[in-house]
Amino acid sequence: MGESAAPIFSSRTSAGGALAPRRPAARTPSRGEITEIVGRLSSGRTSYLLACLADVVGQGETAALVDADETFDPRSAAQAGIDLRRLLWVRCGSDRGVALRAADMLVRCPGFALVALDLGERVPRLPPTLSFRLKFAVRRTDVALLIVGRRRLTGSSAALALETSREGIEWTGPGPVPTRLARVRTRTRVLRSPGEEPGDSPPLWWTA
Amino acid sequence: MSRYACVLVEYFDAAAVERGEPALRAEPLGVVNVHNLEARLGRRGLSPSTACSAHIVDRARASRDGAPAAKIAMIVEANAEARAHGVHPGMTEAEARARCPMLVTRPLIEEYVLSARHALLEAALAVSPRIEDGGAGLVYVDTVGLERLIGDPPAIGRRLVHQARAVGLAARVGLAASRTAARVTATRASGPVTVVPEGRERTALAGAPLATLALSPDLAETLARWGVRTLGELAALPRAGLSARLGPAGLRAHDLALGLDHDPFRPWTPPPFWEEAQGLEWEIDSLGVLAGVLETVLERLCARLASASLAADALEVRLGLASGGHHARSVALAYPVVEVKPILTLVVLDLEAHPPGAPVTRVAVSAHPIRTQPGQGGLWQPPAPAPRDLVSVLARLAALVGADNLGSPALVDSHRSDAFTMLAFSPPSEPEPFDRRPPGPSPRPEGGDHRLAVRRVRPARRVEVEAVGERPTRVDARRVLGCAGPWRASGEWWDVDAWAREEWDVVLSDGALCRVARDRLAGHWYLDALYD
Repeated sequence: MGESAAPIFSSRTSAGGALAPRRPAARTPSRGEITEIVGRLSSGRTSYLLACLADVVGQGETAALVDADETFDPRSAAQAGIDLRRLLWVRCGSDRGVALRAADMLVRCPGFALVALDLGERVPRLPPTLSFRLKFAVRRTDVALLIVGRRRLTGSSAALALETSREGIEWTGPGPVPTRLARVRTRTRVLRSPGEEPGDSPPLWWTA
Repeated sequence: MSRYACVLVEYFDAAAVERGEPALRAEPLGVVNVHNLEARLGRRGLSPSTACSAHIVDRARASRDGAPAAKIAMIVEANAEARAHGVHPGMTEAEARARCPMLVTRPLIEEYVLSARHALLEAALAVSPRIEDGGAGLVYVDTVGLERLIGDPPAIGRRLVHQARAVGLAARVGLAASRTAARVTATRASGPVTVVPEGRERTALAGAPLATLALSPDLAETLARWGVRTLGELAALPRAGLSARLGPAGLRAHDLALGLDHDPFRPWTPPPFWEEAQGLEWEIDSLGVLAGVLETVLERLCARLASASLAADALEVRLGLASGGHHARSVALAYPVVEVKPILTLVVLDLEAHPPGAPVTRVAVSAHPIRTQPGQGGLWQPPAPAPRDLVSVLARLAALVGADNLGSPALVDSHRSDAFTMLAFSPPSEPEPFDRRPPGPSPRPEGGDHRLAVRRVRPARRVEVEAVGERPTRVDARRVLGCAGPWRASGEWWDVDAWAREEWDVVLSDGALCRVARDRLAGHWYLDALYD
């Protein structure tokens, strides 16, 4: 079986002090910084995103999700433990420009603990000036900006970049023929983290 | 010296109608309200066989048999003329017409009643600055000091009657040392003004029936069982015995029978007029300049609201136009705010989307006031967006993506896997204990793993599936490396939107882990979601 579940998101206190990561092995988005999670389809990046949202909302904080392709599944989110009342969902109708502008507005609103931007499979090219603009806005308002997509968006403006990959699948069913997906095992690789060498985190199990 | 006056307008719902149609004062008038007969029978616990007439029974039966729901008009109020003919509230309209063929009926309209109630309060306020709203058709007036201004108690009573008549209401006034004594006196009076001399309250109330006190049904029944019919008989009972047998309710009834007030006087003040306006000597045809004027008007309005510890949760903006017309906009605020800048942003955004058709010559802004939550968040409560910031960002996002694409998702009680609805984003102000959170799926699966998320394909994309038996082997020409299923679900089979499907979890040769679903009614396959 997988290891015991622990909060993934590492937040800071409202006074600004950093909390010790409750799960040192898992790389986590931090407030005031940009974090990117990239990976292929079915690599666990969306599950990672929902786990981060659940950790934030579970602490009574408010989060926002800018959903470029309207792929967010509220039932999955509820199953992940997200109090949907604390989540602002912005649907952008597959318009990447609108999604970026919406994320830009949200990171400038102090009080959100986490703003997630899900760009799906089509990640646009972002000029470095806009990346820096996002970086400084996030730093000023102390919001954690988490960007999820097929490839990286903000380049060196991101403080942490992770890549997820799928390692295995488990099926389940009462008979010899499986009737349902049981679990998926993924691994997270650190692509960019200040002061750290890139490397792999321990595998995570995600139950369907 | 009398201290209180009670202004009483009998049969107030009927009086409110007569106020609008004075000609009805000489007619027997019944105010009717339409009820659903099934609900009425059910609420009263009556079977149709015990209903008052065979006519009603037939209509109820027709309702149960699937015919349109039976409606019945009930008399909810009748004026004195109608009551003289035996018409009383609670009768059906048909029954009332049987007793009084000349009966004129009017529907019950809440706005009429509210308007008349407000008019009566303002009429009393013209006599004394201290009045209390006692309910529909009932106003208490503090008369202390009025004798130097108006005269003796009868003169004060006559002034009150005159003021009520001026707003179209025929009132009776009782004056006594207490509000209870004044009300009972006004209820039983035959003339327009009745004054109870000081110290004679108990004698004046002695003959009044118990019903004038509006006691609780249980207490009234108990007293009736004891043979107590009048306030004098109740006042004559020993307090110790009443206390032992009836408790505080008995003592309270005894005090009322003696003409003593129990509740404090609650002064009524008219709701303030939350509007600020600005007339312009020049015509404004630019939104930027108009925003400057709006800011000035909003500053005055917000200052007034803030001084009363109120905030605005909706605004009405009315612009007078050079063409002679008006341009009116309603601006709803997601959060009650009293800060000028977010309100101004919202108003300007709204006017950008709906600009006036001609240059503006007058600006008026009225606010719907609301009392805001006092105090600040808890010391250990996580910070949340400030209401003024949140209002502003939500308005900007709504302008960017559309109001329908913004909010908090909420699950719908349905077997459809993608059933949800969007609610306005309004995060709870305080974290709730775990046992009070809304019910939902278990957040953590057994074994301590995290939950696997799916990415929805909206709308579900139709795919070509090759199958061996019922198991898919290819999806859109991509080989299926592994699959699990079927997982069957159906719903709404009782309706025109019936659906039935079977779901398969499949791993495709390109690495995608998908959920495909076959519509069992149409036979088509769809890509429903992607596990990610």
